Amino acid sequence: MSWALRLPAWIRTTSASLKGRLLIFLLGAVCLAAALQAWSSYRTALQEADQIFDYHMQQMALSLGGSLSGGVHDSNDDMELVIQAWTAEGLQVFQSTARARMPARAVLGFSNVTVNDHMYRVLSVQSGGQTVQVAQELAVRERLARRLAVRTVVPVAAMVPLLMIVVGWVVSHSLAPVERVRAQLSRRAADDLAPVASEGLPAEIQPMVGEFNSLLGRVQQSFEAQQHFVADAAHELRSPLTALKLQVQLLQRAPDEAARQLAQTRLAAGIDRASRLVEQLLLLARHDTQGAPRQPVVLAPLVEQVVGEHAAAAQARGIDLGLARLDAATVPGQPDALAVLMRNLVDNAIKYAPEGGKVDVSLVAEPGTREVRLRVEDNGPGIPPQERERVLDRFYRSPDRPQEASGSGLGLSIVNAIAERHGARLVLDASQALGGLRVDVVFASADAAATPSV
Amino acid sequence: MRLLLVEDDQMIGEPLLDLLRAESYAVDWVRDGEMANTALQSQNYDLMLLDLGLPRMDGLAVLRAARARKQRLPVLVMTARDALPQRVEGLDAGADDYVIKPFELDELLARVRALLRRAQGRAEPIYEHLGVALNPATHEATVNGQPVLLSAREWSVLEPLLARPGLVLSRQQIEEKLYGWKDEISSNAVEVYVHGLRKKLGAGVIQTVRGLGYLVPKE
Repeated sequence: MSWALRLPAWIRTTSASLKGRLLIFLLGAVCLAAALQAWSSYRTALQEADQIFDYHMQQMALSLGGSLSGGVHDSNDDMELVIQAWTAEGLQVFQSTARARMPARAVLGFSNVTVNDHMYRVLSVQSGGQTVQVAQELAVRERLARRLAVRTVVPVAAMVPLLMIVVGWVVSHSLAPVERVRAQLSRRAADDLAPVASEGLPAEIQPMVGEFNSLLGRVQQSFEAQQHFVADAAHELRSPLTALKLQVQLLQRAPDEAARQLAQTRLAAGIDRASRLVEQLLLLARHDTQGAPRQPVVLAPLVEQVVGEHAAAAQARGIDLGLARLDAATVPGQPDALAVLMRNLVDNAIKYAPEGGKVDVSLVAEPGTREVRLRVEDNGPGIPPQERERVLDRFYRSPDRPQEASGSGLGLSIVNAIAERHGARLVLDASQALGGLRVDVVFASADAAATPSV
Repeated sequence: MRLLLVEDDQMIGEPLLDLLRAESYAVDWVRDGEMANTALQSQNYDLMLLDLGLPRMDGLAVLRAARARKQRLPVLVMTARDALPQRVEGLDAGADDYVIKPFELDELLARVRALLRRAQGRAEPIYEHLGVALNPATHEATVNGQPVLLSAREWSVLEPLLARPGLVLSRQQIEEKLYGWKDEISSNAVEVYVHGLRKKLGAGVIQTVRGLGYLVPKE
């Protein structure tokens, strides 16, 4: 559109329409072409007229030589020639119609002479003992050439309106499918993301509609993902809500102080679980929608911080939580999101490791590779190979384990969402060292990638 | 009345167990499908409360297996799967009723009573026989219109007998309706409760059939 901005305002307003733009520019082009044609036929006609008239003048002068006498004659010649003749002694013996008095000339041959502001073509020859001078006003030739030029332009000018009508019709006709698409789209409901029918559209517009349709497809996908997420979330919230309702009933019906105490404890635990679930849902929703992170994050202090946060929880279950290895590594990312990722991994490991078990966290940056590997492993029950894909699904729970009080089924989904946004791979495997689950988050290192550009 | 509660979520199962017991039901609680399947084959339950999303064996599979064994006990499905096709599938698999989580406790209890009533072939909500009336919804008992206070255990002994007059229930069958798995059972408990009931209701309501058990006689 930048070129359009340089056009005069009246064209810009008209040229917002393809039709208007085409008509304006076509009209301009036709007029220019007609003008060029007129000019060129004028030039050609003039040249030809020169040759023809010069030849004619020559013939006439030669044929008249020696035969002219008797003063002034009238000439009805439409070539409007002025003819004079002199004897060898210089005595004028002939003068055609006194339209103009031509100077007595001295030079033989063709010359252009101006008399009374009129240009004349003058030819003098000696023939039959007389000097004959034939002159013609150049305006005559020009008039003739102009007439010819106009005659060539007339048909073109006559065709202009017809041409405009045809162009207008063709454009309207070609753009009718576009109008149809527009009408289709205007009737669409907000959630109707079906592709737009592209048959009949001009080839120039097809790719645009194609791209538009593929965009609709992507929107549809993410829309569906969102809908699924909301449906899943609603479904998942039902269990803690059921628990809360029952616990309130229990509290209301408690017959004695001890029962009331127990009911209160359970109610508090139920509220904790519901809050945790909502928190996790919010985390997931946030990390699903946030843009790509770009900030170099030094991982080691983050790992230390997260492990430190979980020391108390691990101790409470008698679990030996520790750092197995901590290399220096920097990855591009968001520190908050990466902390959430680590927290979820360590949380899970502590939850599933048996009492008195072991959880190892390590951060490995092998000098040879460009990878940074964050590893959390435990000696819990692990995840059977056939379930490793599915545990990343939202709300997935093992078919072999009853619902735990604290599980939301979202932990690994959150880890996965954050890893994906950081371009990291999530690898689940059996832990060689501890025998339980081993989760690797494999980042591309920022140090290796591009140090100066950050 | 003895119920089987199948619910994997501890935070729902625990309070539900307590609340059902407070309603004088004997309740066994299992947390996965396979255990539910086993329990159904080793005990006679009057009703099953069944969650569908269960570990090891899906709730619908448990239900279908029970129906395939011709077990006719009423089954009340409690689930968060609320889409119409799922509700239809549940009912078609043999469920008698369906409640969607989160449900209201009072509604759940009312549905349990209705299902038990229907299973006994009755439509009226109050058991009334020989001048003794029991209202399971309010746990009010009357003898000839006079209110009588029954303990939860006494209620549990009387209800199944009064529900089907003329049917003899053995001491063991009555015990099953009285206690869950983990309850301590003293050997003469049933006799003690029957004795107490006879004092409150009059001697003729519960009769002993020596060597067989107890019954409430037909009119």
